Amino acid sequence: MINHRPFKKIDYSNYLYLLPAFLFYSLFVLYPLSDTIFTSFTEWSGIGEKKWVGLENYKKNLADKKITSSIKHSFILIIFYSFFPIVIGLGIAGIMVRVKIKGMAMYRAILFLPQILSMIVVGIAWRWIYAPKGPLNSGLDFFGLEDISRAWLGSFDYALPFVGLIGTWVMFGFTMILFIAGVQKIPSELYDAAKVDGAGAFAEFFNVTLPGLKGEIIVALVFTVTLALRNFDLIYITTGGGPGTSTMIPSMFIYKKAFQMNQVGSASSLGVMLTLLIFTLISLIIVTLREKK
Amino acid sequence: MKKFLIFLSVLFLTTNVNAETLRILAEAGDEATLTAAAAQFEEANPGVTVEASYLGWDDFMATIKLKLADSNPPDLAHGNQGFTVDGTLIQNDLIIPLDKYADQYGWKNLFADGSLAEFSWSEDGSSWGSGTLYGISPVAEDVIVYYNKEKLSSLGLSVPTNFSEFESALATANSAGELPIILGGADGWPIIHVWGLIEGAFVDPGQTRSWIFDAKGNDYATSSRIQAAEKLEEIAKAGYFGSDSLGIGYDDANAMFIDGDGLFNLTGTWMTAQLNEGMGDNVGAFAMPRSTSGVAGGGSFALPWHISSKSSNPDLAAKFLAHLMSNDFVDDLMQVGRVPAQSPTIDPTSNLQAEVISASNALVGSNAKTFYTDWATPGMYDTVTQELQRLLGGAASAKDFIDAMAAESMN
Repeated sequence: MINHRPFKKIDYSNYLYLLPAFLFYSLFVLYPLSDTIFTSFTEWSGIGEKKWVGLENYKKNLADKKITSSIKHSFILIIFYSFFPIVIGLGIAGIMVRVKIKGMAMYRAILFLPQILSMIVVGIAWRWIYAPKGPLNSGLDFFGLEDISRAWLGSFDYALPFVGLIGTWVMFGFTMILFIAGVQKIPSELYDAAKVDGAGAFAEFFNVTLPGLKGEIIVALVFTVTLALRNFDLIYITTGGGPGTSTMIPSMFIYKKAFQMNQVGSASSLGVMLTLLIFTLISLIIVTLREKK
Repeated sequence: MKKFLIFLSVLFLTTNVNAETLRILAEAGDEATLTAAAAQFEEANPGVTVEASYLGWDDFMATIKLKLADSNPPDLAHGNQGFTVDGTLIQNDLIIPLDKYADQYGWKNLFADGSLAEFSWSEDGSSWGSGTLYGISPVAEDVIVYYNKEKLSSLGLSVPTNFSEFESALATANSAGELPIILGGADGWPIIHVWGLIEGAFVDPGQTRSWIFDAKGNDYATSSRIQAAEKLEEIAKAGYFGSDSLGIGYDDANAMFIDGDGLFNLTGTWMTAQLNEGMGDNVGAFAMPRSTSGVAGGGSFALPWHISSKSSNPDLAAKFLAHLMSNDFVDDLMQVGRVPAQSPTIDPTSNLQAEVISASNALVGSNAKTFYTDWATPGMYDTVTQELQRLLGGAASAKDFIDAMAAESMN
């Protein structure tokens, strides 16, 4: 028997429905993106003629120690923006499964609050908390810990981890909500079975909750790692990259090159490099962790 | 339909009147000055409307080049001395030479020869410090030393007359448990002003100015400059900036100074009105004395005014500038708390303003203004702020600082 596949005419008019969205996407995403890529191969002050320089900007970026060390800072920030929030979020979700807390909805809302605040507000608030005479130091002094208290954001050793902790505070509400929602879709039979098998809280967490949340963990990783790498506003508000270059990250260089140093071409090349870095890391995360079919 | 026609005619009439509109884009620090000037100018020139808009420092500096490159730019706008802003504007023909107007209105006669070098460029915008005049400003800004009068006298000290007296005042304050110098080092740029004063105390001001106009062509690591860097390192190591200076922002530092923290506050005359309001007669000011004789310090004219090359009425814009630069306007500048670049025409409005003006005159008199280090190259702002933070925080030595600065000078 011959399989007669009826010739189906594709109705191209359907594509018209995509057109408005495509136009907007082209105008606000594809066009700027391709323009940035083009600019990254040129020398340009921001106005006037662009001068083609090939790969020169990329070579200079890779040779610039300040830039390569700023990428190291970004990787340290991933620990604070991504690893800590996921661990904390998982911990809270794990506890939620075992213990029913009264008024949980309210706690959830409060813990999620940092996530909806503007980064500018968060940055200004924490700059005040970390200030030499701010609440953190006053608290330490109150407990007789004057030796520990210091200008946290002005310290070459502590500025980066303390900016990172702000990121942890902002992001853990997001991972928590994500994981709590994820836990609710894990079939309760699995928990019952674990109980029957005599699993304790830890065994239950590692054998039921954690595997059940794999999808959510990937989402959380993608989201938080992206933020850690492209983050700009928090650093700009709290330290400006200082003291010295101790909290400098690539996005600060992009801003400084484009708006302070008249090097829009170089700024674009750094932007392209940062995008590629984020893209590679995210792909790695997804490829390594996704369900094997 | 009738309504629409009325609307159209109204629109037409308004645009007609707007032909005599002068559009100004200014950095926000000049709002009080311009509000006064605009009212006077409109009254003296019937039919003219002055339309001024303002942007805060960061926004202004990030967008000014694009605003002037726009097809419909303001007629009159601030720039900023140096290659990053003014140089780029001239290289792209976005602003016009002012020599014609300077001659017409006599601006060059107002100041000593060579004073307008910071506004002068070659016509292609590639070299700076002499040549065609592209900007002008009626306001002087100097970096000087503000001090808490009560503290100074209770420490048994008087206003230092040379740099070693200044140093020993720091030591006296420190051992009495007073913070010698309040500094908002978290922002980076306030340390440039501190550096300008220390550099000025050791390095010949003319040499510093030559380096700023041509960083590549002048040696940075001179023995006197190394001496100045070592002095700054020594002052920082002695704890004269306190232990927290890199964690304090500029605004906070000034608020703390007003509240009684710190004997000295090394900053610019733009703070005069605010400090006077907060401290009244308890605040004084002097120009930093040099190690040998005389005074020195960072300082320049305020941000330059430029006329857009696309302005439809550059003569009107120049006429407004002439009003700002006029002798009549000097007292208005003083009333809004600014330090006029010309001699004052009225009595100082406060005790502090009197001391600030005399400090400013001392700097002008000894031709000792050294501008700002970050003017030297487009990347200098970043380098100098980062390296000064490292020097103050003990993360770098005076030699590291000089090396990094000399390297940036070549960019």
